[in-house]
Amino acid sequence: MGAVRFPSPRGAFRVWQRNATIFRKFWKTIMLPNLFEPLLYLAALGLGLGAFIREGGISGLTYTQYIAPGLLASNAMFAASFESTFNTFIRLKIGRIYDAIVATPVNAEDIVAGEYLWAGTRAVLYGTGFLAVITVLGFALSPEAPLVSSFWALLIPPVLFLVGVMFSVTGTLFTSLISSIDLYAYYFTLVITPLFLFSGIFFPVEDFPAPVPQIAWFTPLYHAVNVCRGLAAGPSIGVLVDVAWIVAFTGALALLPIHFMRKRLIS
Amino acid sequence: MNRGMKKTDSRETTLFAKGLKKTYGDFEAVKGVDFEVYRGECFGFLGPNGAGKTTTMKMIYGVAVPTDGELKVAGLDVRRFEREVKRRIGVVPQENNLDEDLKVMENLLVYGRYFDLPRKVVRQRADELLEFVQLSEKSDAQVEQLSGGMKRRLLIARALINDPHLVVLDEPTTGLDPQARHLVWNKLRELASQGKTLILTTHYMDEAAQLCDRLCIMEGGRFISEGTPRDLISEHVSPEVLEFRASADALEKLAPVVENGVDAVERLGETLLVYTSDSDAVTQKVKESGISVENVLYRYATLEDVFLKLTGRRLVD
Repeated sequence: MGAVRFPSPRGAFRVWQRNATIFRKFWKTIMLPNLFEPLLYLAALGLGLGAFIREGGISGLTYTQYIAPGLLASNAMFAASFESTFNTFIRLKIGRIYDAIVATPVNAEDIVAGEYLWAGTRAVLYGTGFLAVITVLGFALSPEAPLVSSFWALLIPPVLFLVGVMFSVTGTLFTSLISSIDLYAYYFTLVITPLFLFSGIFFPVEDFPAPVPQIAWFTPLYHAVNVCRGLAAGPSIGVLVDVAWIVAFTGALALLPIHFMRKRLIS
Repeated sequence: MNRGMKKTDSRETTLFAKGLKKTYGDFEAVKGVDFEVYRGECFGFLGPNGAGKTTTMKMIYGVAVPTDGELKVAGLDVRRFEREVKRRIGVVPQENNLDEDLKVMENLLVYGRYFDLPRKVVRQRADELLEFVQLSEKSDAQVEQLSGGMKRRLLIARALINDPHLVVLDEPTTGLDPQARHLVWNKLRELASQGKTLILTTHYMDEAAQLCDRLCIMEGGRFISEGTPRDLISEHVSPEVLEFRASADALEKLAPVVENGVDAVERLGETLLVYTSDSDAVTQKVKESGISVENVLYRYATLEDVFLKLTGRRLVD
């Protein structure tokens, strides 16, 4: 029983497919708020706060240019986090959806892997919508300083998939350990919100004294922000390190929630 | 499709358990049970709460892993061939776990995909199954709009989407009104006559008597008796029961009068139960004694008498 169990791709796909079936029915209602939220940040901070730091901007970018790609990364984080916390908890404990699935050839480990893939997919769907909006908006508002200026930006959606899977792994890990839905307040207040504020979306953490940049390097959203910002304006080779970090972090943790979730579903 | 004759001579074994055990920490939920269920048979697990029935069911459909012993479905070991075993089983759980985000028909279509069945096959079976459980008109309804009985029927349809060898039903009619219960019973009987193997747990003795070809009574993780309903009755209790209702005083006096020559006498509050194979003689004795009795009920012994005799009348939980 203690043996590590690897999911079957086919089983994971069936779970992904179940979520996709439901999403297709409600996607308009589900997507809309997620599209607005980053736009609100962009308007309030980019245009509002940005008006005061117009002089010089940050590393040659206007403030709006600086924060827009970072918001793409955090948007993916939020999409995957809601999916792997509240939504997964409801399927696990309230709807008893997983109880019904584990009685079929789809095993507990496949369910978790399917949820990872689905969270990644949602991150892509949200992120791509947002990317399209800021690309068009950026060119429309200031053609001389667009928000997305490089064709490398086409690689942002696959990166958002990785980011989504990564945050699904951490969110599912938390979900697999808690028994009350109220405990998510801890996860969002102590994990997600600090990451959102201190991962270099709104200001460069590199300019802070040690150990702030070093700490940031060990957190997941920081790397996601670096990659998105790099791809939006034309990347440097350093982006590959960030992608490798994301893949390694995800890979190192991915089996843990599978193990705990299986213990909750199979006695 | 496994639509064979009911009970073939070859007695093909669908379910086989030997020394099956399940422990949770220090607690032994199932303490080594042996059973064999043959194709086309309906086998019942009876017993008070906590007897180990549901744990046994869960081991069969892969949601609990046996601690020790052998357990095979259609010849396949449940631990080694987890997915293959589940592919051959349909499960009707005790608690409704239909997918509330999906409509009635969609519940069947999505569930069919978990078995990797071709879309066309699932579609056709889903139509047939909704027809079978009389929910065709509800095909497009939201699950939450269904009554309790309809949900249970949909669960039965869902359990059949993979055309299983074995259907596992955990308390299939608990909480249903009498009409809904009878409808479910009819459907289960139809399944058995199609050659499906059914196993079920139940608290209702009439249900067990109606549906089961054979059954076992479990208590404390063990089988305490096993056989056909008729065998169990003749083995453990007398064929006839007389129930006398009277005042406490009258019953006090009545007990010694009837005691002689009967199989058992039991006092249950204001009722005296007399188990006998000659009820006329008992009635005669009571008449002669002149003790006033408000009400006498004569009936045949049922599984409920067997159950209560074997598991006792005290409340379990």
